[in-house]
Amino acid sequence: MPGSASSTHRPEGLIERLRSAAADGGEAKLKVLRELKNQIIGNRTKKLSYIKLGAVPFVVSILSSASSSADCLLVQCAATIGSFACGVDAGVKAVLDTGAFPHLINLLSHPNEKVVDAGARALKMIYQSKVAPKYDFFEEKNMEFLISLLDKNNENVTGLGASIITHSCETNDEQKILGDAGVLKKLIDLLGGTTSQRDASLESFATIIKENPEVISKFVGPENGRTWGTLIELTKDRYPRTRLLACVCLILIKNAAPSYLQSVGIRTKLILVLLELIDDPGQVGDEAVLTLSSFIADDEGLQKLAFEASTIDKLCDHLQKELLQAKRLQGIFMTLANLCSNLECCRSIILQSPKALNIVTAALTHATADVRVAACICLKNISRSVKYLSAGHFMTEAVIMPLIQLLYDTSTSVQVAALCTISNLVVDFTMHKSLFVQSGGVKQLVQLSKSMDSTVRLNAVWALRNLMFLVDSRCKEGIFMELRALTLTSLVCDPSASVQEQALALVCNLVNGPVDSIEYVFTEDGLLLNAVGRQLWSASKHEVLIQITCFCHSCVSAIRYV
Amino acid sequence: MPVRMVESPAPSNSSGANPGQTSLQPCSLLSVGQAFSGTQNVSSPQKEEAWRVNVRIQGCDLNHGYLCGTMEALNVPMADTPRWKEQYFVNVGADCGLTIAGFYYVCFSCVDGSINGYYYDPNSSPFQKLELKTTNEGRSGFSFSSYELQ
Repeated sequence: MPGSASSTHRPEGLIERLRSAAADGGEAKLKVLRELKNQIIGNRTKKLSYIKLGAVPFVVSILSSASSSADCLLVQCAATIGSFACGVDAGVKAVLDTGAFPHLINLLSHPNEKVVDAGARALKMIYQSKVAPKYDFFEEKNMEFLISLLDKNNENVTGLGASIITHSCETNDEQKILGDAGVLKKLIDLLGGTTSQRDASLESFATIIKENPEVISKFVGPENGRTWGTLIELTKDRYPRTRLLACVCLILIKNAAPSYLQSVGIRTKLILVLLELIDDPGQVGDEAVLTLSSFIADDEGLQKLAFEASTIDKLCDHLQKELLQAKRLQGIFMTLANLCSNLECCRSIILQSPKALNIVTAALTHATADVRVAACICLKNISRSVKYLSAGHFMTEAVIMPLIQLLYDTSTSVQVAALCTISNLVVDFTMHKSLFVQSGGVKQLVQLSKSMDSTVRLNAVWALRNLMFLVDSRCKEGIFMELRALTLTSLVCDPSASVQEQALALVCNLVNGPVDSIEYVFTEDGLLLNAVGRQLWSASKHEVLIQITCFCHSCVSAIRYV
Repeated sequence: MPVRMVESPAPSNSSGANPGQTSLQPCSLLSVGQAFSGTQNVSSPQKEEAWRVNVRIQGCDLNHGYLCGTMEALNVPMADTPRWKEQYFVNVGADCGLTIAGFYYVCFSCVDGSINGYYYDPNSSPFQKLELKTTNEGRSGFSFSSYELQ
């Protein structure tokens, strides 16, 4: 009948055995460690449970007291510690707090390769976590140790060296010191190694060159043609992750030094590789989307190449798949947003597809804030199409209502993104703009124009300015009644020059139109007129002065000669 | 409807732009919100006729040589066989009798803001002359309204 045997296999029982194992012989320790390791491998819940029960200190204690000749015990300790640290920040913390680190480092110089492997793997797990200690590359002994890791003929040890770089290299100075120490060349040499070495090296290489034109220019030149060729070859590797990492490296080189990736053929190739990688349903696919998005951002030429490679159709096909994760959705919307940032042809394709716009507007109510923001940005860039704005394409309930709701969102970044989108959509050229006004949008824009957050204030005033453009008298009166001269005056005199600029443009739009629109600046004893007059003397930003000049011109043109 | 103001796109900062092309020079009379009014001569051998036309500029992208706006034709008689392109018409029905199959070829004067040109459509009356002048819409001078897309 089950009795004490089953209770010893329960977590508490296993902990007791761990505790007493310190006094036992090697075989008993080995047995309990193996059991523990087998229970926690791949099981996050069990890892957290055993961490809470205090298992880690016992394991570290066995490691620290083990003799250097107890190879099997050393391997099991390291493997168990590595498993606790794998993917669990609490595990990494527990391992570091109990002083395991120096003992694991010692294992790297053990004569038995299996012990070295186990130690290196455990340390790699630690360095894959953001709570791992920061490595000081400026300390000479540390740099020597790192280079010794990269020089070893052992994929776990070189992988550890690469992990340390990927984890801890953050600043331009750190990138430079690693570059100067010849680390880049060692990483490039490792590209000829195993898959694991290649991927780890590509990741570290990317970390060192990221946004650092100086490091790149010293390394990637005509004399390093082999490196360039190697990276391009790796974009055709059989493993998706390797192809992705190779693309990332090439794109980072292009971002820091555009002259290095001039060839249209290679640029198109990269786009096609990334598009194919997006088919991967896991992390590789997620990262491929984000990589593509950042590749084409701010580059109209690349956006055109992506358009010609049918990127929009492919992304829209992806969007129609069910149950896409938030990160994937966010990436796709950002890529579409970048595609539509400059090119009318891209906007047209989306707007002509009955489903595509519906998918974007549906995402405005997504549970994840980042997806809502990305959908707003996507819609904002699509709505840069004056052609479709003037056709009233966006002024529908399906688009406007969820956007107005986002003005009440708990997340400020969502509010700002919605404001930016609305500021485009209200330029719909139909003078009554009734749908937006009737839906209560004006009230909330005015409310947000009084926000303590200057970004919210700026974008709310921007939306009001665009709303006021060519609006008819009745609508204008309604907006002004909501806004009031006092609020508008304080916006004209806002501490932020950008807010002043938008507020003054709003005033220009207010007084534009029928001649009697000029009366608005005289309400409440000329509050607005006086405020603009004061700004004329105090403003320094030239965009503000331009708006004041336009306002003066509009005022003068409204004077009727008797 | 969009009206391309130059034959080729103006250069931009992006890669792939054609060097040596000139973009439109900025002009305060060719700006968003500016209104024009005038006539389009749609006379045929059988009948003298002119439509009153109002134009307002709604979009202006000088870097790409692109202009966009609305054109309102007044006193247009109803036709028996209307043509319609929903994407570009605002506030008129399918039987409005207007066609947008053709192109306007126009010149803009930076001196006084006048626009002169012809509408060409092989299926419409030839030599439909368009003559527009800027209008101050009752004011004694120009006024400025603007929007800025994000």
